[in-house]
Amino acid sequence: MYKVMIIDDERAIRNLLRITLEKENLNLRIVGEAASGIEAINTIDTYRPDIVFVDIRMPFMDGIEFSKLAIKRYPNLKIIILTAFNDFEYAKECVGIGICEYLLKPISREEIRKTLNRIIAQLDKQFPQKEEEEEIAEDKNSMDQVKEYISDNFKNPEINLTSIAQYFGFNSSYLSRTFKQRAGIGLNDYLTKCRMEYAIPYAKKGALMYLTAKEVGIPDPNYFGKCFKKYTGKAYSEYTENELEGKNIWK
Amino acid sequence: MSGKIKKWFSSKKLKQKVRYLFLCIIGIYIILFFFVYVVFLRRNMMDYALENNYKTLISIGNNLNIELGTISSMSQLLMMDNNITSYLKERKEIDIRLSHNAVTSMYDITNSFDYVNSVYLYRFDGEYIHITKEITYVKETVMEEEAWSKDIIEAKGGYVIKINGGGAFRNKSGKPIISMIRIVNDIDTQKPLGILIINLSEDILRDSYRDMEGEDKKYYYCDQSFELVKPKEEAEELLGFVSMDKSFHQTTIGRLGNRRVLSCYPVSDTPLIVIGLEKLSFMQSLPSNTFLLLIALVVITVFSLVLIGVFISVYITTPIERLVQSMDIAKRGWLKRVSLNLPDDEIGNLKDSYNSMLVAINQLINELVEKEKTVQKAELNILQEQIKPHFLYNTLDTIAYLALQESTDRVYDAIETLGNFYRKFLNKGVKEISLRDEVGIVKDYLKLQKLRYEDVFEDEYSLQEDLMDIQVPKLILQPLVENSLYHGVRLKGEKGVIRISAFRKKNKLHIVVYDSGIGMNEEQIRKIMQVNHKNFGFRGTMERIRYYYGVEDVYEIRSVEGRYTEVDLKIPLRRIK
Repeated sequence: MYKVMIIDDERAIRNLLRITLEKENLNLRIVGEAASGIEAINTIDTYRPDIVFVDIRMPFMDGIEFSKLAIKRYPNLKIIILTAFNDFEYAKECVGIGICEYLLKPISREEIRKTLNRIIAQLDKQFPQKEEEEEIAEDKNSMDQVKEYISDNFKNPEINLTSIAQYFGFNSSYLSRTFKQRAGIGLNDYLTKCRMEYAIPYAKKGALMYLTAKEVGIPDPNYFGKCFKKYTGKAYSEYTENELEGKNIWK
Repeated sequence: MSGKIKKWFSSKKLKQKVRYLFLCIIGIYIILFFFVYVVFLRRNMMDYALENNYKTLISIGNNLNIELGTISSMSQLLMMDNNITSYLKERKEIDIRLSHNAVTSMYDITNSFDYVNSVYLYRFDGEYIHITKEITYVKETVMEEEAWSKDIIEAKGGYVIKINGGGAFRNKSGKPIISMIRIVNDIDTQKPLGILIINLSEDILRDSYRDMEGEDKKYYYCDQSFELVKPKEEAEELLGFVSMDKSFHQTTIGRLGNRRVLSCYPVSDTPLIVIGLEKLSFMQSLPSNTFLLLIALVVITVFSLVLIGVFISVYITTPIERLVQSMDIAKRGWLKRVSLNLPDDEIGNLKDSYNSMLVAINQLINELVEKEKTVQKAELNILQEQIKPHFLYNTLDTIAYLALQESTDRVYDAIETLGNFYRKFLNKGVKEISLRDEVGIVKDYLKLQKLRYEDVFEDEYSLQEDLMDIQVPKLILQPLVENSLYHGVRLKGEKGVIRISAFRKKNKLHIVVYDSGIGMNEEQIRKIMQVNHKNFGFRGTMERIRYYYGVEDVYEIRSVEGRYTEVDLKIPLRRIK
């Protein structure tokens, strides 16, 4: 059973893919979706997919950029680029990375089947990933350093669990587990918390959402909005409404 | 004929024209000069020569008369001499002593005079005395004839000139004798006493023209019957040309180049006629300084013409020719500037003007080519947009999802919209459609996009119905609306509005595409029209509108960053092109 993640800015396409995959019975499980590259970077650590479907054209972070980042962090990740025919020149960039499969739109079930079978075969050949439990001497300080690092760098849209783990030389699941033990909160949640806490004062001042989103390291305002609502229980605009609307304090 | 010459002349090159002009001028000048020479100068020359000739003859006649006058004076001395009058008056037997004294007196008197050959003094009784230097024969029988003495008697003491004494005398050597004959009258009674005959040598004739004679001028004496006094072979020939007219007259004989004047001049108080023969020579009749002046004039004129010709050639025709050669390159399509070293005058200015004109032309051509390229690229992009399946494929996937959801009405609706959209969008390749259809395309487009992106935006329309049938270039709104969606509303993360309005203002159709997206700052507005901006749709659309209407000012962008963007298309209601 391999884990699949779907990244596309159109919900209809995500749903279409989901339904199609479910009907195919390919021994796959769809673990998550993302509506943008930004959202995917922030959630991929949670879902830990084996296979990713990613649309080549998305706002804020396109499929290519995402693939580059993702491959750096998850070298065994299988990426399937969704592209329309005339994006082909654009898609050639992926060939340079050497990791991509293509799936042409409109989606054909035949093509999906073939591609996935090929990828599943590849994955099957690989040794099952053993999560090496490196026992690293527990260091209370190191988690504090991680926290400090997050506080300093949350404005960078590219950081997530894996990149932090790589930065500190930890195994990422180890970091995840240890961080949660020590801090009592997941690392990703902590990162989001830092960002949201930073965003709240701006929301109160009535700053435009997309600018606040960019400032706190989630340049996709849609995903930012989702996170904000989840964190505060209120929509960003509800924070703003009391204030004068649209004050552009970031200018 | 003249038209032909005109055509021929105007077809020649400038250099040849100048050359022909100068040849023509020089030709005319030479002809004119020749004409002046022949008509005026030659006539003047002739008049001058004849006049000159006449004067010479007069002076020859005068010379002769002066000499004869001298001799006449001498004869009076003889006539008044006592010894001679005594001899003539003696009635008795002639005393030998008397005659001797008379002869002595003759000698004394005649000695001091030239030309005197012999002197005869006749008494009416037939007695006579004489002195001679040369042997002279006398024919007394001739003298006895009445005819011989008639004119002598009529002269009443005045002298009469007879050649060879009218046939009474003959020099032994055969040389002609000029005889001056006169009656000797008694001083007191005025009665004739005798006849005095003074025979003169022909030297008196020769000396009268000796100073005038020359290579080209010959003079001869002849008598009343045009018999030469002294026969000469070359002169005999000439007499053939003389008309036997005894008054003064002139004739010209001989051909051009050997033209001579032949004149006859009767010397007054003598039976002699002077025949003058004078060759007409150019140099003689024309004063040499005048001639030099003429030659100088010709030389100066020709020299000036050559100088002007050279000047025109060096400063005008040759530079123009070089300029034309250089400019010829432009004919072959190379709009290259001319780089020549030309004088800094009008021709140099011409070159500079030509060059700056070329620069301007090149610039214009480049602009035109650039514009044409942009428009073609825009058309091509539209074409690609039509072929480009990105939108279609995504929409199809969306519809596929709807179908899987089993919401059949929505599937039907979506497919119908998609069909409508593509029918208007492709529209058989027509470039112009009504505003109604153009807005229809946008409505369908946004409807389909709403299916894909759900709650991202609302579309609103505010259109004046009377404007809806105006024809506009196809697909001028769809690219703008696409920009509004992808570069405006979607990036904001909040639900936005896309509003299309159309109204008339100052004879222009305004179509405004408004979106409440993230807006643009001035830098971005400026960059959106730059050639290498990645979003070609906007610039391409504007270029198409500009090209289509031939107007530069076709749009305005109003925007507040973070708030909205508004593209205002200003379309002339009357199409210019």
